[in-house]
Amino acid sequence: MSKTYEYVPEPALIKGNHDFKSITAMVTDINLRPTPKMWYVLFGLSNILLLVLLVSIGYLIWEGTGIWGLNQPVGWGWAIINFVWWVGIGHAGTLISAILFLFRQDWRTAINRFAEAMTIFAVMCAGIFPAIHVGRIWVIYWVFPLPNQMAMWPNFNSPLLWDVFAVSTYFTVSLLFWYVGLVPDLATVRDRIKSKIGKVLYGTFALGWRGSNRHWWNYEKSYMILAGLATPLVLSVHTIVSFDFAVSIIPGWHTTIFPPYFVAGAVFSGFAMVLTLMIICRKIYGLEDIMTVDHIEKMNLIILVTGNMVGFAYLMEFFIAWYGGVEYEKAIFILRAMGPYAWAYWIMIACNVISPQFFWSKKLRRSVGFTFFISIVVNIGMWFERFVITVTSLSTDFLPSSWGYYSPTFWDVITYIGTFGLFFSSFLLFLRFLPMVAVAELKGVMPQADPHNYDEAGEYVPPKVEIPEPKKETVK
Amino acid sequence: MSDQSNKTTYWKSLNELAQNEEYKKFEEREFAENATELTDQVSRRSFLRVMGASIALAGFASCRKPVQKIMPYARQPEDLVLGEPHFYATAMPFQDTVTGLIVENNEGRPTKLEGNEEHPSSGGRTSIYHQAGILSMYDPDRSRSPQRDGESVSKDDFINFASDHFSDRNRSVLFISEGNSSPTYHRLKDQILSEFSGAEWVTYEPFSEDNAIEGTQMAFGSRLRTVNHFDEADLVISLDDDFMSPYGHKNSVENAYKTTQRRKVTSTDDEMSRIYIVENAYTTTGSYADHRMKLKSSEIEAFTFALAGRLAGSVSGLSAFDGVNNDFSNHDWVDRLAEELLDHRGNAIVTAGQDHSPAMHAAVAAINAALDNAGNTVTYHELPYRDDRNEREAFSNAVSEMQAGRFDTVVLVGTNPIFTAPADLGFADALANVDTRIHLAEYIDETSRVCNWHVNRAHFLEAWGDGLSYTGHRSVIQPQILPLFDGLSEVELLATILNGEESSGYDLVQETWEEYLDGDFTRAWEVVLHDGLDENSGFDTASVSISGNLGSEIQDHLNEGPVSGMEINIRPDATLFDGRFANNGWLQELPEPMTKITWDNVALMSPATAESLGLPSERSFRTNNVPTVRISAGGETIEIAAWIQPGHADDSITLTVGYGRDNVGRVADGVGIDTYPLRTSQAMLFQGADVEATGSSYEIACVQDHYSLEGRDMIRTANMDEYRENPEFASFKSFHGFEVPGMKEAERAGTAHQGPVSLFTEQYGPDHEPQWGMAIDLNACFGCGVCTIACQAENNIPVIGKREVGRRRIMHWIRTDRYFEGDQDNPKVYHQPVPCMHCELAPCEQVCPVAATTHSDDGMNQMTYNRCIGTRYCANNCPFKVRRFNFFNYAKEYLTTGDDPEIIQMAMNPDVTVRFRGVIEKCSYCVQRVNKAKIKSRIETGSKKPADGSVKTACQQACPANAITFGDLTDENSEVSQHKMNERNYVMLEEMNVRPRTSYLAKLRNTNSELA
Repeated sequence: MSKTYEYVPEPALIKGNHDFKSITAMVTDINLRPTPKMWYVLFGLSNILLLVLLVSIGYLIWEGTGIWGLNQPVGWGWAIINFVWWVGIGHAGTLISAILFLFRQDWRTAINRFAEAMTIFAVMCAGIFPAIHVGRIWVIYWVFPLPNQMAMWPNFNSPLLWDVFAVSTYFTVSLLFWYVGLVPDLATVRDRIKSKIGKVLYGTFALGWRGSNRHWWNYEKSYMILAGLATPLVLSVHTIVSFDFAVSIIPGWHTTIFPPYFVAGAVFSGFAMVLTLMIICRKIYGLEDIMTVDHIEKMNLIILVTGNMVGFAYLMEFFIAWYGGVEYEKAIFILRAMGPYAWAYWIMIACNVISPQFFWSKKLRRSVGFTFFISIVVNIGMWFERFVITVTSLSTDFLPSSWGYYSPTFWDVITYIGTFGLFFSSFLLFLRFLPMVAVAELKGVMPQADPHNYDEAGEYVPPKVEIPEPKKETVK
Repeated sequence: MSDQSNKTTYWKSLNELAQNEEYKKFEEREFAENATELTDQVSRRSFLRVMGASIALAGFASCRKPVQKIMPYARQPEDLVLGEPHFYATAMPFQDTVTGLIVENNEGRPTKLEGNEEHPSSGGRTSIYHQAGILSMYDPDRSRSPQRDGESVSKDDFINFASDHFSDRNRSVLFISEGNSSPTYHRLKDQILSEFSGAEWVTYEPFSEDNAIEGTQMAFGSRLRTVNHFDEADLVISLDDDFMSPYGHKNSVENAYKTTQRRKVTSTDDEMSRIYIVENAYTTTGSYADHRMKLKSSEIEAFTFALAGRLAGSVSGLSAFDGVNNDFSNHDWVDRLAEELLDHRGNAIVTAGQDHSPAMHAAVAAINAALDNAGNTVTYHELPYRDDRNEREAFSNAVSEMQAGRFDTVVLVGTNPIFTAPADLGFADALANVDTRIHLAEYIDETSRVCNWHVNRAHFLEAWGDGLSYTGHRSVIQPQILPLFDGLSEVELLATILNGEESSGYDLVQETWEEYLDGDFTRAWEVVLHDGLDENSGFDTASVSISGNLGSEIQDHLNEGPVSGMEINIRPDATLFDGRFANNGWLQELPEPMTKITWDNVALMSPATAESLGLPSERSFRTNNVPTVRISAGGETIEIAAWIQPGHADDSITLTVGYGRDNVGRVADGVGIDTYPLRTSQAMLFQGADVEATGSSYEIACVQDHYSLEGRDMIRTANMDEYRENPEFASFKSFHGFEVPGMKEAERAGTAHQGPVSLFTEQYGPDHEPQWGMAIDLNACFGCGVCTIACQAENNIPVIGKREVGRRRIMHWIRTDRYFEGDQDNPKVYHQPVPCMHCELAPCEQVCPVAATTHSDDGMNQMTYNRCIGTRYCANNCPFKVRRFNFFNYAKEYLTTGDDPEIIQMAMNPDVTVRFRGVIEKCSYCVQRVNKAKIKSRIETGSKKPADGSVKTACQQACPANAITFGDLTDENSEVSQHKMNERNYVMLEEMNVRPRTSYLAKLRNTNSELA
């Protein structure tokens, strides 16, 4: 009995026999071509939504938090739900760009720029909510540890304060990471763009990149360090967001499972959001050769895994509620499934636990249309997960006398819709002016960049020109 | 400004300043913007003039300081320290009783009413009506001047008219008055009746004790007031008498105090009285009773006769009821109650609801007399001021005479019969037949609008007056401020009619009192003013015996059958009474004690009745909308929201009055439904009606959406037998056994009764003294809600309106939770006041990002409004949900609406910050009172620990049941420490280890094991 294994090469990450030049052209021509009319239409629509956001924030600050549906037992409603939801979406970008980079998952290069941009815009949308949901926004700077004559510091015990640090750090690191990755590509656009203003602007932001060996060496190191810094943030941010709930004593919030459960949920929703955006963009901009069905399948696998982690967490919550013997916790979980908010709970279960199960089928997870549908379903489900956690626990807590139903108002809804205006306006600007794929990195994972000029024995072998096709594994 | 300061240099006296026209003009010009604050009647000048006068009066009357700007006193009154309130004794009239009060007066502004401990009908306690009285006075919607045919005129115009009109002593004048016990009023009344030969005088109160008085006429042959001494009775049988509630009985404060006092239990050796109640709607007294039976109102009379009939076999004197045989003759409650009454001869009380028939009151009076309760636990008193006639009949007759055109003038003294008179009397038509109609009222109300003359009435805190308490104790009503709108009091009006010129209420009252006070009048008068009552007063007890005519008089009533099918009951409202408090925001927003509804009246019905009408028998948790019903009786139809009240009698609907006002005031208008049209002189309490579901719905703002305790242990209760068997029944151990982690360890450590052991050992300020704590005796609380209003008055809590309450944003710092237990048809009800628990390990403090809520050294959980940024995290993390958030700028809306917001601003307590939008607020344990007491103690005794009892929170002070105790936990002898050491003491949610400083004493019921 002896087995020998053959080397099985990975399937090519980029389809269609591109060379470096055609890749550069495919991505950066999008920025160099005249602006399509459709872009203006979409940007206009997004701007209208952005205006809606600004108006609703203005009215909120003018009138007070009372314009929302918040009430006495339910002190946090849509604002906090939206905050957690947007922050969660942001996670995919950092996970793709930092963790997958450290794990040398080369397929990430096709989508990392894109996903990081999404992260930054999602965190911007998220950051709005904790700021505007406070009663007195004009003194919100008191959450920062600013030295003052009263020697009055913020309360370092409060998870909300940890949130302030966690989210602001996350945003800063994500932005830096994104920008560092952009530098070589900005230089590429600088070199190719005709307009003078474009040359100046891209040239400024390219920081004098000339592609020297020294530049590449510095670039690779700083990128690696930032990836290392960003990696713990992927876990810490949503862990700390979950502490807002887990550190409290409210039944249904006070659970130790929250950090891993929130992180899994965040990755779950983030990947779904990346897929939603990617499926649209690859089609519109003709990037199917870069963002291939293989990418979609890989991402769907992550959705399947994280979806099951989330589903497992839902089950464990119920188990611990029963096993822990705390009557309030038992009651809250029974009420979630059968009480006044059962509709929200079952939407959540259907979207987050049941819908990813379709991805056990290879056919479905390679189906672009179906993936698009599920990616939206997952994001709806994850919004409802945050709704169920935030609202049901507060609505029916310890004293039955204080139980009360919460429903949103018009302003709750349009503030949320308005954040899509901010998100899409930013995203459309990104698509228009920045290379949406990391061209330099992408070239690095092309076979042309990795000529295997030596065999296993160390003998020189002339480089092969053709691209190896995938071979089936054979067992003898 | 320099010009002004020059002038001030030359002031010699207040009078000189007041007469300085130029100065006045200057003032008016400079502050023209705010000059609307006071109407022209009280100008700054007249204010200062009278202020000078009142200083001369050695401070009996206090006065209002100018509100426009803060000026130093040119001559500061000797006894006035700015920032130190003064306290004066006065009394609040309510129908024909008064309750003694103490008024807190801050530099001329009365800001808080509290009970007068010396006064027997108060004993230091109050009801919701007393607490809310202060807001009624500062109500900017009160009428500001007399009106002739709807046009505002000056007070002098009215006085000129009255002087002219009433100079003709031959006029046939009808006086219709509200109940009034004032000796001055009755002195003037007698004078008027003797001078105006054609005058007639009737009293009308929509809800009165007239039937009870007619009952004594039937039973004893004389018209007497019934006084129940609940502190002396071992057994109380209430037949639909809600005697502890302010809307059920005008002596409710004393009743509640004495009932609960008789039921205070500190150890297993103590005894409680036993209360049985038979009633229609679920009342607070019903929830406090040991046994309750629901019965349609119309059946309660038959039940009473059956009980009397049963007793007739065992005691003499009840022969009138021999042979009564009705549906209830073999009822087990009749058996049981008869047995209990015979066991407790001489120390029981049987009492009947005041709106029930005279015959039923006669039966009750006869039972009390036959069982020797009369003279012991029940006493009867002749009312010196009351005419010996059936007052309701007299009123009906007067209305028909008005209709017939017998009167050329009608003077309505304070009552509002257009709104409240029985619908069948045709009062409005009759009134239109009188040429001259004069109405004294605080508001331009329904009656004022159909009168030629409206005279604006001074509030009792603005005018001199006097009155008798329910038991006849005579008090002087001492004003606290000059009339804000320069009105007349009722005695001033009567004196104007009599004398044709304006008379000072002060002189009128003094003139009356000269007769009562012996010795040096000035000295005796000062003593009365100081004490708040005349010590040597009180009604004489009448000796009674059952009249021989009872049998014949009652014979016709014995066989009156109940209403078959659906009946409706019309009752006074828990918060608005007969509608007189309709424009009081505090009362409108006070949750009705049993339904927890604010800002509305509803049709109460049992779940079974609702089902029979095709309505859902349970309320939806998700919506404020409730179905409505159409109720038709006597040709009138109303549509009103239906509300399920578990424990309500079946086939019966209870409606309350006072709502559905139009054009009375900004608070009252458009709230609820007017149910008076259904009330006729023949059906003042109940009648048959057609009821059907309409299919539409109506939005109700209810502050407690969930009825049930869900089997949780927030309320712990036992009956007396269980308590004696296991005195520690309320301990955590008894409730939860060892299921909770840490309990076994606690058992080993011997601290199981305190709950599970904890990993935390820290304690705030362990070495600091004092440490504050509160204990609330659930065995005393009957859920009246006065703590909420007292807190609202003390702590400047805004009124937020129905829409905001409906969104569950009520601001009350102390709420009373109401839970139903048992089956829907016959549940038990528990009340639990919930202020901030002041947890030692407060979960709110740990989560605030900016440390806006922190712990004080003396163990209080403090809220720093200035630091709060409004994340609401603390409110979320509070397991008791006692934290309140200013979602809007409620205080601004409440305090700056209208043309002259300065008026309502004067009602604010200067010791408490008014909170801005976007901050959390909550119960502070009345920290302003605590600190005041600490400072005082430090100055006077050098001790930082105020003596026990020297600091009382507002809720504690107001509670008629003494349910709340507050004090220093480091003093082992303090009352609160004693309560906390009691075996019935428990805290909510021990297993959370938040260590609340507010604890509860478990509820007890003295049930009859044979009936249970």
